[in-house]
Amino acid sequence: MRRRRTLVVATCAVLAGLGLAACSSGSSSPGSGSNTGSSNSPSFNAALSGVVNPSTTKGGTLTFAMSSTPDSFDPGNTYYDWTWNISRLWATPLVTYKSCPGSCGLQLTPGIATGLGTVSDNGLVWTYHLKQGLKFEDGTPVTSTDVKYAVERTYDRSVLANGPTYFPTLLADPTYPGPYKDRSKNIMGLTSVTTPDAYTIQFHLQHPFPDFNYVAAIPQTAPVPPDKDTGSNYQLHPMSTGPYMFQSYSLNTGATLVDNPNWTQNEDPQAKQLASKVVIKLNQNANAIDSSLIAGDIDIDAAGTGVQAAARAKILSSPSLMKDADDPLSGFLWFTYINTKVAPLNNVNCRQAVEYAADKTNQQTAYGGPYAGGAIASTVMPPNIIGYKSFDLYNALSQPSGDLTAAKAALKACGQPNGFTTGLAYRSDRPKEVQAAQSLQAALARVGINLQLHGYPSGTYYTDFAGSPNYVHQHNLGLDMGGWGADWPDGYGFLDEISNGNSIAPSGNTNIEELNDPVVNNLFAQAANPSLTQAQETAIWPKIDMQIMKDAVILPEVYAKSLLYRNPAVTNVYVQDYYGMYNYAVMGVSTSAST
Amino acid sequence: MITFIIRRLIMTIFLLVVVSIITFAIFFLIPRLAGQNSYELAAQYVGRNPTRSAILQMEAKLNLTAPLVVQYWHFLVGIVAGTHYNSGTSITYCAPPCFGYSFRSQQPVWPQMMAALPVTASLALGAAVLWLVGGVAIGVLSALRRGSIFDRLSMGAALAGVSLPIFFTGLIALELFSYKWQLFPNVQWVPLTTNPLLWARNLVLPWITLAITYAALYARLTRAGMLETMNEDFIRTARAKGLRERTVVVRHGLRAALTPILTIFGMDLGLLIGGAVLTEVTFSLPGLGQFTILAIQNQDFPEIMGVVMLAAFFIVVANMLVDMLYAVVDPRVRLSLWRCSRSATCACSSVPTTAWSRRWTGCRSTWSAAARWASSASPAPARA
Repeated sequence: MRRRRTLVVATCAVLAGLGLAACSSGSSSPGSGSNTGSSNSPSFNAALSGVVNPSTTKGGTLTFAMSSTPDSFDPGNTYYDWTWNISRLWATPLVTYKSCPGSCGLQLTPGIATGLGTVSDNGLVWTYHLKQGLKFEDGTPVTSTDVKYAVERTYDRSVLANGPTYFPTLLADPTYPGPYKDRSKNIMGLTSVTTPDAYTIQFHLQHPFPDFNYVAAIPQTAPVPPDKDTGSNYQLHPMSTGPYMFQSYSLNTGATLVDNPNWTQNEDPQAKQLASKVVIKLNQNANAIDSSLIAGDIDIDAAGTGVQAAARAKILSSPSLMKDADDPLSGFLWFTYINTKVAPLNNVNCRQAVEYAADKTNQQTAYGGPYAGGAIASTVMPPNIIGYKSFDLYNALSQPSGDLTAAKAALKACGQPNGFTTGLAYRSDRPKEVQAAQSLQAALARVGINLQLHGYPSGTYYTDFAGSPNYVHQHNLGLDMGGWGADWPDGYGFLDEISNGNSIAPSGNTNIEELNDPVVNNLFAQAANPSLTQAQETAIWPKIDMQIMKDAVILPEVYAKSLLYRNPAVTNVYVQDYYGMYNYAVMGVSTSAST
Repeated sequence: MITFIIRRLIMTIFLLVVVSIITFAIFFLIPRLAGQNSYELAAQYVGRNPTRSAILQMEAKLNLTAPLVVQYWHFLVGIVAGTHYNSGTSITYCAPPCFGYSFRSQQPVWPQMMAALPVTASLALGAAVLWLVGGVAIGVLSALRRGSIFDRLSMGAALAGVSLPIFFTGLIALELFSYKWQLFPNVQWVPLTTNPLLWARNLVLPWITLAITYAALYARLTRAGMLETMNEDFIRTARAKGLRERTVVVRHGLRAALTPILTIFGMDLGLLIGGAVLTEVTFSLPGLGQFTILAIQNQDFPEIMGVVMLAAFFIVVANMLVDMLYAVVDPRVRLSLWRCSRSATCACSSVPTTAWSRRWTGCRSTWSAAARWASSASPAPARA
């Protein structure tokens, strides 16, 4: 789970029990998805469905600003949304996402590979073929050993601590120490990644994992030449395979990127090299970023989490500013877990009473309103997840302030006609969540459900409190607030960790509602059947979503949104659905207005 | 003089060690007393979703399992003798003063602080000139025109200046002068060595914003000091000898009133060079203040320790310089200083001070105490 999606951890250990065979991934011709959206003239939300200011003009300086610092610019050591997005300027992974607006941007397409991975019959070996002729910024050819080494180095968490841990969890030799310790012995020693030739790489898994192509799309597969690796210092100058390369980088201050002379558009159609220079300013005051954006001093707020409250009010009240703004879904859901083991919520009717009685409008307001907070949710999967299907079992959309009649009927069916008392856990250091908790308390009180609020620090919320089933049971925490976003945008990526019975863990639990519904579990097993087509697999996700909602174990509140502002001088702007922010890999800047 | 400086330097080292112990204890000892173990501490530095083995690797690398005394000793040795660091592919030597490597970025702390220091120094020194000149001038004029419209207006403005927080005045200044009127567009840090004009242009707003707060305080201090000084007997004597009013005010009144101003100036400047946090954050200046905020947000012990030590160092040094400057402000101090530093009998309680000097300076050091004693014991000799 990337850093902005703050909830929990998408550890893959649970996958061991799946016993799945991989599904075929299909293929896509390189470049087929590049900028396929229509061009839109600047208007509010124009960049959601089309390309704003399309241009092929070369030149100018594209300036990003960021209110904090990256966890790392090393593609093997980063776990932030925005760094994954911006790293495409200098790092091309094996597989990437199509550069195009709308749902098209959720689809995978080859990066440095010639196609998506192919899987062996037993689902345990994934094979990728690399494009020939690719070069690093210094002209050195990119080979399969560079990709293997890039994966190897992520194993040593004492050197590269930040990135996701999918490879050690999924691949066959999880105890490999990484290439840094006893280097002469361990370099190229990861036996679960083999390189039959200079342009072929194979990943040997412990267990079948049908979503492996999504794992291959993580920046950690961007090649790293072993002789150029400088360990923890590699972040200062990663060897580029993207359209730009580092000219300078001052930690905590910013970076300047210039054209990578060894990058070719033909081999990397998902990125562009329009600006002559890219400047990334770090540690900028968040309010000053907004003002600078509006003044045209910078081009894009790299965080992609939306403008601050002051600028939001300014933009929303000014048509001339609003036409340069967009309000995309981030792919993140704010919701409340309803625990199935805490009485009386172990009765589905009591859980449904909670679903009916919640006031979604107030929850939306608590999270920031319709623009900065999000859209009222009625499903677990947000609309920008592959497999999303709209439905509304508990009248969240038709009666957003709550269906009290239905709630009372559900309470009666539960045997608690006068309501009941249970605990509500939330993160006390998050003002929006505090407000949402208080709002939910007031809403449920209308039908006699008395919530006792328990605030916890966010740092240990999922390890010691809400993520600890024992603690939840002992403290009668029937409801637990949370949020969730997946590392990749399909139903498996979004639903598995929070609803598969296999995900329940004694600590760091992600299935906080402790749902172990055979229907849900079987649907996950079906989705892993290698004989399914992509469409058949995708059709399973809304069924799981529906079943989770029938079980009433998750109270969806809002599909998170953020109000983004684009400098009118920026060209080729559109929201990439996968990131829920602008696609940084393809932007240019009008040379007449560049900063 | 030399003895004095040596004693102060020894005191400085002792003070820095005490500061480092306190900081170390806050970071490592208190969490441990509260139940946190080294494994949990290491888990903070392994990113998201760490496996157990990953946390153990980090715990070993950061040497968190060693006794606290050993950890602290390694830290101290690193500062004095340097240390070696494994970046994965190579072992690099971190030369003294090595404040260690950031737990987060795994980069050495000292070069980062040195990169940030020119920013903070540029900001603090520029603003200090503004507030010292502006604040003292306004204070003197207000005192001389006590009760006038100028006095009332300037003191009212001073009150507002002290009251308005920098993050407010800074944002207003940016909004008006940078974004709206574009007088100082696109404010950003430009090193002095790169382009002196741009350096100055980009620092005008931060200087003024920072100076407003301090100038207001200094204006009020100066006014109060001048009002008291100008009623002293030696001022009357000077006037009776027929000196020009300007000479009386500047050479006798202001000079005597400057002592406490100098004291607080040293403290303020030392603090600011240690990091002008609010101003740097407001104007996105990559100085020590912003570095401090990041270090705290990241709970990055080596960075926190480094910046605390550096700030403490600047405060101590600035105070030492101020003590030495007393002699410049008031030549009569010199003899007393020698006497005082040799005999070491200048205890605060035994030194006569004016009520005003006690109020603003307190008892800080033998030298400053001697200075106050000297200035109050005998009036400045008036030259006819």
